[in-house]
Amino acid sequence: MNRKELLAIADHWFTNQGWKPFPFQKQTWNAYLKGKNGLLNAPTGSGKTYALWVPIVLEYLKQNPDYKTKPEKGLKAIWITPLRALSVEIAQAATRFAEETQSGLTVGIRTGDTTQKERAAQKKSMPDLLITTPESLHLLLSSKNYPKLFKNLNAIVVDEWHELLGSKRGVQTELALSRLKTVAENLKIWGISATIGNLPQAQEVLLGAESEALQNSTLIKANIQKQIEVKSIIPQSMEKFPWRGHLGLHLLDEVVPIINNSKTTLIFTNTRSQCELWFQKLMNKYPEFAGEVAMHHGSINKETRLWVEQAIRNESLKAVICTSSLDLGVDFAPVETIIQIGGPKGVARFLQRAGRSGHQPGKASRIYFLPTHAIELIEASALQKAVAKKAVEDRIPYLQSFDVLVQYLTTLAVSDGFYPKEIYPEIKSTFCFQGLTEDEWRWCLNFITKGSQSLQSYDEYKKVEIEEDGKFKVNHRGVAMRHRLQIGTIVSDAMLTVKYVKGGFIGTIEEYFVSKLTPGDVFTFAGRNLELSRIKGMQVLVRKSKKKTAKVPSWMGGRMTFSAQMSGLLREELYEAAESVGSNSKKRSPEMVALQPILERQQLESIIPKQNQFLIETFKTREGYHAIFYPFEGRFVHEALGSLLAYRISLLSPISFSIAFNDYGFELLSDQEIDMQQVLDNNLFSSEFLMDDLYKSLNATEMARRKFRDIAVVAGLVFTGYPNKLIKNKHLQSSSQLLFDVFRDYEDDNLLFQQAFRETFEHQLEEGRLRQALERIHSQQIVWKACQKPTPFSFPIITDRLREKLSSEKLEDRIQRMLKYLNK
Amino acid sequence: MKTLDVFLGTEKVEFHPFGTVFWKSKKILLIADVHLGKIGHFRKHGSAIPADSIQKNFEKLTEIIKKYHPEKIIFLGDLFHSSLNYEWKLFEKWVEKQTAEIILIEGNHDIISPLNYQELGIKTQKELILNKFLLTHHPEERKGYFTICGHLHPGFKLAGRGKQVLKLRCFYKTENQLVLPAFGEFTGNYWVQPEPEDKIFVCTPTEVIAIN
Repeated sequence: MNRKELLAIADHWFTNQGWKPFPFQKQTWNAYLKGKNGLLNAPTGSGKTYALWVPIVLEYLKQNPDYKTKPEKGLKAIWITPLRALSVEIAQAATRFAEETQSGLTVGIRTGDTTQKERAAQKKSMPDLLITTPESLHLLLSSKNYPKLFKNLNAIVVDEWHELLGSKRGVQTELALSRLKTVAENLKIWGISATIGNLPQAQEVLLGAESEALQNSTLIKANIQKQIEVKSIIPQSMEKFPWRGHLGLHLLDEVVPIINNSKTTLIFTNTRSQCELWFQKLMNKYPEFAGEVAMHHGSINKETRLWVEQAIRNESLKAVICTSSLDLGVDFAPVETIIQIGGPKGVARFLQRAGRSGHQPGKASRIYFLPTHAIELIEASALQKAVAKKAVEDRIPYLQSFDVLVQYLTTLAVSDGFYPKEIYPEIKSTFCFQGLTEDEWRWCLNFITKGSQSLQSYDEYKKVEIEEDGKFKVNHRGVAMRHRLQIGTIVSDAMLTVKYVKGGFIGTIEEYFVSKLTPGDVFTFAGRNLELSRIKGMQVLVRKSKKKTAKVPSWMGGRMTFSAQMSGLLREELYEAAESVGSNSKKRSPEMVALQPILERQQLESIIPKQNQFLIETFKTREGYHAIFYPFEGRFVHEALGSLLAYRISLLSPISFSIAFNDYGFELLSDQEIDMQQVLDNNLFSSEFLMDDLYKSLNATEMARRKFRDIAVVAGLVFTGYPNKLIKNKHLQSSSQLLFDVFRDYEDDNLLFQQAFRETFEHQLEEGRLRQALERIHSQQIVWKACQKPTPFSFPIITDRLREKLSSEKLEDRIQRMLKYLNK
Repeated sequence: MKTLDVFLGTEKVEFHPFGTVFWKSKKILLIADVHLGKIGHFRKHGSAIPADSIQKNFEKLTEIIKKYHPEKIIFLGDLFHSSLNYEWKLFEKWVEKQTAEIILIEGNHDIISPLNYQELGIKTQKELILNKFLLTHHPEERKGYFTICGHLHPGFKLAGRGKQVLKLRCFYKTENQLVLPAFGEFTGNYWVQPEPEDKIFVCTPTEVIAIN
C-alpha cells in the first residue's frame, strides 16, 4: 500500500464517524508516514490522539500486508502520559480505531495502578500499543532483557510534553528516549504539547540537542482558535472581603447560581486541602447538592477518581471540586463552565483550565475567577488581559540533573548492566546532559560504584559493581529491589494508606499530617469526617465520625509563583489602580471599582506605588519590627530578593530575620528595629556582587536545603519506601536535613550537593528576572513609608506562615535575648 | 566549651555541650545514643553518605574523655546503630586506648551480640542502679529512683519575637528523670514539649544554656 491508499483508510474511518479530519491531523499523518519526528502543538480535546495514533496503525498495515492472517506480535508503540488518569481515555480512543479498521492491534496500560498479575501477563506478551508513564517506562528499563521488548518499536508519543518538560520527569523521559533510539532502529519520536512560550525549545529537548532526530523533525501547530470568556466573581459588598485568606469560602453563595445555570461545572482549587474544605462547606450549606457534586484530587483512591471522571462524561454530576488532578485529560464534553478559586499563578495554566469547558466546536470556554482576598482582584484584572494577549509562559527545562542521571545509570545496571563507552554518547546526546564533561561522567560512575571519588580503605559501600569485562552491574538483590521501589522523580513525603478499621481503602495521606494527630482526632478526608483509630505500619486506620468540626489535612507543595509575564501585567494593573483612586473614570474594570475602598485605605495609610516608585513600608506590631518591600515580581523572585537583602543588612550589624514572601512583595521581620535609612544609604539593592551575595545568603537560608531533599531521594541517598507497601526499613531511615549537613561539612564538592544550589538559582531564583527586577528598582524612586499599623497591601504577606530565616548573630546571643524576652 | 553544673537531688553533675553528663563524685561519664556505624550501615545499603564523617564521633569521644579522665564510661544505649560493620574495628581501636571501665546499657538499636563487647572487656546490661539512680536506655519512672536515660534524642524549639525559632539539642529534666541528648553525629531530634515544671537545657556547639 502506498501512502495515498493508507490515508484513504483513515479518511474512510473518519467519514464513517461523521467527522472530518482537521488540517493538523492530516499534516501529522503525512509527516509521520514520511518517517519524520516532531512536536504537535494542539490543545486538549482537539483530537490529538487520532493525529498520532492513526499513522502508527497505518504504518503497521503497510509493514505487514498480511496483518489479517499473520499478525506480527510485540510492542510497536509507546504512549507516554504524565498522569495515570489519562491513560484510560487514550486507550479507549486508540482501541476504537484499531478495532474498526480491523488492524488487529491491541492496546494495554501499564502505570503505577496496574496490578502485579497484569504486569506479568504483559511481560509475557506485550500489547502492540503500551500506554504508560515515565516512571513505569524506566521500570521496564530495569527489567532483564529489555532490549528485546523494544526492538521492534516504531513510535514513541509523549503526550502533554509541556507538563513533563519543566520537571525532572522530563529529564527522565529524555534519558529513556536516548536509550530507546539505540535499541529500536525504526523509532520515530513525537511530542504533543499545549501552547507554551518556548515550543521550538520543547521540540529540541524532546528530540535531543543537535541530534539526527531533531534534524529530521517538524513542528505542527493545530491553530485552533478558541474563544475564552473570563469573568470575576465580585462580592456584593467589599466590607466582608477579607484582606487575607486563601480559601475564598466567603463567596460560596455566589458560586451556587453558576453551578445551577450550567450543565457541569469544574471548580478548580489550588491545593488538596482547599478542595476538601470547599466540598465540605458546600455540602453542609447546600445539602440538596448531595449526589450531584463530587470531589477529585490526587490523594483520593483510583476507583473513586475513575468513577467521578465517568460521571462527568455521563452528565450525572452538576459540579466537581478538583485540583490540578483534572488539569489534563481528554474530553469532558458536558463541562460548560470552569471556576478558578484563587490565583492560578500562570497564564498557561489558567488557559488550560478554561479549555476544559465548552468542548463542542464553536462553543466558547467560560471561566470564572474567584478571588480569595481583596488584592487578588487586581490579579483577576491582570488575568483577563493576559488571556486576551495569550501571554503564556515558558517551561524551563532542567540541565545537568545528576540525581536523575545516577538513578538512570543504576536502573541500567539493575537490568542487563551497561558499558560506559556505549552509554556515554547516548547521554551526551540529550538536551539535559549536552554539557556533561568527561570529569562529571567519571564522577557519576564513581558515585554509583564506590559511593565516593577516592577509594576508602575497608569501605563497605555496595551498589553497582564493575565486572571483569568492564560491565557495570547490580548483583545484589536487595540493592536491586530497593532501587526499583525508588524509581521516579516525583518526590513526596512518605505516603500512608488511609483505610477503615473494618477494611476499605479510602486514599493516601502524607505522613507529615498524620504525625500531628493522636488517636481520637477527627479529620476531613475525601469529603468525609474520619476519626483516627490508630496507625499500623504504613496504614492509617479510621472510623467514620459524626463530629461536625474536623482538621483538614494540609498537603505540602502547591506553592507556585507568578510568571514574568503575569507579574508584568499585574504591575500594569496596579499602576492603573494608583491613577484611578478617587477618580470616577468609566474605563475602570469592575474589579477595580470593587477594590476602591481598599485602595483608598491603602492610600490613606501609605501609598499605592506608581510606575516610577518602589514602595517600602515599615511598622511595629506585637510580633516585632516589620519591613515590607513591594517589587511585584512573583514569589520566587521575592524569595531571592528577600534573602539577598536580609543577608546584606545582616552584614551591617548582627541581626536575625524571619522572611515572608508572596507574589506581591516580601517582608523582613526582626525583633530589632531595621535601620532603613542605612539600607537606603548603603545602596543595598545594587546588582553588584549579586551572585556572590546570593550564594552566601542561600547558605544562610533553607532554600538549597529544601531542593536537596528531592535530590537526595531521586539519587537514592534516602530510602523512602513505597506507598501501600510495608517494607522493613532496616535502620535506613534518616532525614534529608541531616544528610544536607553531613554533605556540607564533609563533601561540599559533591555534584549532587552542588546541584541543590544550582537548581535553586536556575529554577527557583531565576537569576535573569532577579537582575531585571534590581535594575528596575534602581531606576525607580524609593518611597519609604513609616506606617502606624499594617496596611491592606502588607496583610497577606505578614500573615503568611511559610518563612525563611537568616541571622548574623551569634547563636548564644540569640538564645540569651530570646530568654530575656520569654522571662519578661 | 562552656559546661554547666546541675544538681540532680544532692548529686552535682556537669552537663557538656556534646550532650554528656559527668558525675563528679563518682567520676562517671554518661553518654547516650552515639549510633556508631550508622553511616557505614547506610553505605553498605547503597546510600553514598560521605565516609569521612565517620571519624567525627570518635574524635568527639576522645576529646570528651581527655577533658574528664573518667574512671567509668557508661553508654546509655544505642551505642551502635545496627549490625556489625567496619566501624566496629574503629571502635575496637578506640577502646584499646581507654583506661576507664566501659559499660553499655543496652538500647533498642544494640543488636550486636554481647559477646563481641565482652571480648573488648565491655560489660553489657539492661540497666544499672547506683544509689538512688536508675540508669536505663528507655525513659522510665520507677518509684524511689531518679532515672537517667537516652533513647528520645530530645531537642527543643525555642521561640522568640519576630517569629524566630531555634531548634537545638537539649537535656530534658523532669522531677524524677533526666533524658540526655543524642551524642552521635547524623542523628535526628525529637522535639519535646515540656510541662511548666520541667527543665530544659539546650546545647549549642560551645555552650549549655538553661532555658527555665
